[in-house]
Amino acid sequence: MTNILETCGVTKQFGGLTAVNDVNFNVRQGSITSLIGPNGAGKTTFFNMITGLYVPTAGTITFAGQSLVGLKPHDVTAAGIGRTFQNIRLFANMTAVENVMVGMHTRMRAGVLGILANVAGVRREEAASRQKAHELLDYVGLDAQRADDVSKNLPYGDQRRLEIARALATDPQLLLLDEPTAGMNPQETAELTQLIRRIRDERGITILLIEHDMKLVMDISEAITVLDRGTKIAEGLPSDIRSNEQVIEAYLGRGAAAMAQKQAQQGGA
Amino acid sequence: MATLRPRAIRTMPWRLLGQIAVAIFCLLFLAIPFVEMVKSMIADPQLLARQLLIGVTNGAYIALIALGYTLVYGIVELINFAHGDLYMLGAFFSLSLIGTFSLTTETPWVVRAPILIVVLIATMGFTAGLNMLVDRWAYRRLRGVGSRMASLISAIGISFVFQNLGLLWGYLRFPFMHGVMGSNAVAPKSFPALLPSVNLFAGTGVRFGAKDLIVVGVSVVLLIGLYLFVSKTRLGKAMRATAQDRDAAALMGIDVNRTISLAFVLGGALAGASGMLVGLYNGTAVFDMGFTAGLRSFTAAVLGGIGNIVGAMLGGLLIGIISALSDQYISTKWTNAVVFGILVIILVFRPTGLLGDDTVQKA
Amino acid sequence: MNTRIRSSLIGGVFGFAIALISGGFAGILAGLVAGLINGFSVPQAEPLNNRAGAVRQGLVASLIASVLTILGIVIRSVLIDPVIGTPLNIASLLISMIGALILGIPVCVIMCVIRTEPPARERIGLAIVIGIVLVTYPWLDQFLNLRFMNEVIPVLVFILMALGLNIVVGYAGLLDLGYAAFFAIGAYAAGMVSSPHFGISLSFWLAIWVAAAVAALFGVILGSPTLPLRGDYLAIVTLGFGEIVPIAIKNLDKVTIHIWNYPLLVNFDITGGTKGINPINRPWLPVIGEFSPSAPTPWYFLILGIMLISIFFISRLRNSRLGRAWTALREDELAAGAMGINTVNVKLLAFAIGATVSGLAGAFYGSYISAIFPESFRFDVSVMLLCMVILGGLGNMSGVILGGIIIQFADRLFLPQFSTVVQKLIVASGNVSLREVNFASDFRLLLFGLTLVLMMILRPQGLVPSGRAARVMPTADAEVSHD
Ligand SMILES: Nc1ncnc2c1ncn2[C@@H]1O[C@H](COP(=O)(O)OP(=O)(O)O)[C@@H](O)[C@H]1O
Ligand SMILES: [Mg+2]
Repeated sequence: MTNILETCGVTKQFGGLTAVNDVNFNVRQGSITSLIGPNGAGKTTFFNMITGLYVPTAGTITFAGQSLVGLKPHDVTAAGIGRTFQNIRLFANMTAVENVMVGMHTRMRAGVLGILANVAGVRREEAASRQKAHELLDYVGLDAQRADDVSKNLPYGDQRRLEIARALATDPQLLLLDEPTAGMNPQETAELTQLIRRIRDERGITILLIEHDMKLVMDISEAITVLDRGTKIAEGLPSDIRSNEQVIEAYLGRGAAAMAQKQAQQGGA
Repeated sequence: MATLRPRAIRTMPWRLLGQIAVAIFCLLFLAIPFVEMVKSMIADPQLLARQLLIGVTNGAYIALIALGYTLVYGIVELINFAHGDLYMLGAFFSLSLIGTFSLTTETPWVVRAPILIVVLIATMGFTAGLNMLVDRWAYRRLRGVGSRMASLISAIGISFVFQNLGLLWGYLRFPFMHGVMGSNAVAPKSFPALLPSVNLFAGTGVRFGAKDLIVVGVSVVLLIGLYLFVSKTRLGKAMRATAQDRDAAALMGIDVNRTISLAFVLGGALAGASGMLVGLYNGTAVFDMGFTAGLRSFTAAVLGGIGNIVGAMLGGLLIGIISALSDQYISTKWTNAVVFGILVIILVFRPTGLLGDDTVQKA
Repeated sequence: MNTRIRSSLIGGVFGFAIALISGGFAGILAGLVAGLINGFSVPQAEPLNNRAGAVRQGLVASLIASVLTILGIVIRSVLIDPVIGTPLNIASLLISMIGALILGIPVCVIMCVIRTEPPARERIGLAIVIGIVLVTYPWLDQFLNLRFMNEVIPVLVFILMALGLNIVVGYAGLLDLGYAAFFAIGAYAAGMVSSPHFGISLSFWLAIWVAAAVAALFGVILGSPTLPLRGDYLAIVTLGFGEIVPIAIKNLDKVTIHIWNYPLLVNFDITGGTKGINPINRPWLPVIGEFSPSAPTPWYFLILGIMLISIFFISRLRNSRLGRAWTALREDELAAGAMGINTVNVKLLAFAIGATVSGLAGAFYGSYISAIFPESFRFDVSVMLLCMVILGGLGNMSGVILGGIIIQFADRLFLPQFSTVVQKLIVASGNVSLREVNFASDFRLLLFGLTLVLMMILRPQGLVPSGRAARVMPTADAEVSHD
């Protein structure tokens, strides 16, 4: 299986702080891969480097065979990477449909002159993209009646779904989701888990997920990578990660890890 | 499974275009005049010395105004656009008091000096209070709710209101003001020549009058006072803490709103002092003089590194000298363009200024 | 009920003020304006298509407004006119009153009926009413002996500019404080190629395209250094350019450039310096011939045409992929980039299109006054335009037009006429100390300044909030800096 995304030695420093340290990381094409780690581990920073918001201090990022380092965010999007944000960043005063249509920006061709002359091609494209935006809203489970609501007036869960629809509108091959279930109730989380699976199964989009909900992560992921204080401390199948001492330690602190170990030994004895 | 479709990536040459535009601009407005300037400077060192001294005097008052921008920006990230006009109102207020006390060139020094000091203090109090009230009434309401742009727009609005007040001030012809406002409201107002104009370097071909010394001296005293206040006193430390991190400061029990008011008060006081000094030094004040002075001072604050107190002083000095040199060696007609050009270039290439650190840029 | 009375009061206050300040047959115009404003601000009647209800509503609303308007006419003719030296003329007073009623009430009723139509038809209906008023205005002006045409034309020029500024500030969220510079650039570009200045004497119809192109080019050139800047720094840099341009124009009249010792240009006059460029060619059309400064009607229709065409094209852009990109940029620049928008191109496009509109306005204006001077387009003009945009409602063309009308009329008609009346009253009362207060020029800045501050504090979304979205203000300050 090919890797759709490969990073090698990726490092990001902010002044004296090393937010991401020498991370080698691959995402297999067509997989659902998760990136986990405690708060401040550098996960979002890692996303920001992939999507061109930050330039890595060192290292290479290769997507579908081409290097992403130094590209602007819109170039990365055009190359086929879509993303959502940890703290929702919708265009607050645009309607849901318009938000999604903004996502299609790179996939549309209309230029100034075409728009001014309102040529048939532009009209067709506009109508088609509006149609497609409605379909995407439907796909992520947003009420059709909500389509023309200003996005800041949508309920929280709908805003998260709208962000995913907007990212899908960029027609990505790789979708980066930054804590998509943050702040959701268990039922919404379950629905979203289904949605993520469907996106991969039905649309063949590779998914890279940052998530804190361990149940969701273990449930859905085919590969998991763990960051702690900027460094990759583990990677593997969900079952490997679950029992990885270093990971437990990173999440629960050293004492808890020792305790867990002791319990495991006692259990084994 | 979808196959990999490598997509073409287009990059646009706009950034390059922008840099070329700025480069051409620099060349036309800075490099060529600069070479010419250096040539003429070497030709006549006495003239150069004279212009440098003029620059120092200008720099002193510019630094006083620049500090107001820096103090406020450092804490609330607001470009207090009305600050230059506050300086103008300071000049008008002090002129009114000078008229009220009927100070003239005949007034003996024993009377004149103490009254001038009283007028200075009153003027500083007036502009400080006005600045604080405007913050209370206008800017504070927009903090938190509005955006940075909303505050900037309202500051521009206040600037226009101040200018109009300055214009209407010209109609104040109370008998007790002894006619200092003249008979035409919009015309420039004349200050009596209250500062001694003896040349301290008489006979050397260089001019540096006693009045230059007074302007520079008063400014330096105020600047040092401000520096000590901000770095040594408890209130000053609270101010710096608020500038660093407003939320953390609030958690530490600092009254953030009061601290912000304090920045407006200090900045306003310095602007008032500057207005009076410039009025006395140039002998004239006009209601729209705040715009240019304000932009020059803002440039100085940005040049030094906005938010940085020492930077504002340094920037003021530099801008004063640069304007004085430009007046002589390029042309007074172009001096404003030169200053604006510097402002543009700093903001584009090094928004943190000379002494600023990169944390300022972090939004 | 409440809002209905409020709308008739708004209309009535306008009518009252116009009648009071302008005197003469302007009272009839006041009635018309009161009716129009009344009809606009009346709440849309529920249920739709209730014609009878709408007529009743319109009658009630317009009666209240008319009473106020007539009150203004009466106060003006009976109390003020005799004091300032115009004897009371009962006949013209009656004509004004009846005229105000005849125009005001039907217009208001028609507007109210239109407002109850379904949205699509409502839009067409409103467009027709506005169209009729605009098209017939020159004759109304002449018929009522108002002599406002020479003010109405610059008003339209400034509204056109405000529409261009709205693209930059309202749509794309870029606070441009030097926008007036593009007006100057357009005017000078057109002036240079259609005047004896360089001996190039293109016709107006060609020069206006030159102006648009040159302004667009300068929009890109002056916009490009601001691209990496955050909102408030961008504002200051544009302000800097806005000041540099007039200084340069003023001083580029004796340009001498030596390349080593070879003189390339010696005392070459690029811009005409403080004298400006004069005379600039006037438009020529068959039938009408060359537009004449003494006959404003062709000029009126020309600028109206330019404005309508601009509105038409701007709204096409607005509702396109690029218009959405502007809004996205304003809402959240970082997210816009992450959604594939090339923020650099989109910003430059906003600057360029905005500058083009301003350039067109400049070319028209230069030709209209047949001259162009360096000092007329400084910061106060930029701020006045910003006022117009903010008063009406950022990002909303009908709001901007309304804001433009209010600010421009206040500045050009209301304040001067108010001033004249007050002056005459002061003279009549024998009070000498206030005689030289000029209310036209001495309160302008206060008007602009207070408008900005009060709007920011009380109603940042403007009088007419954007239909697409009740925008507050551009808030997108990127959380993450691009390094
Ligand atoms: N723009 C920035 N400037 C300075 N430090 C940053 C910046 N962005 C992130 N950091 C720091 O990098 C570290 C990693 O942050 P982040 O990637 O957001 O963690 P996570 O998403 O895993 O919770 C944190 O210590 C954070 O404070
Ligand atoms: Mg994170």
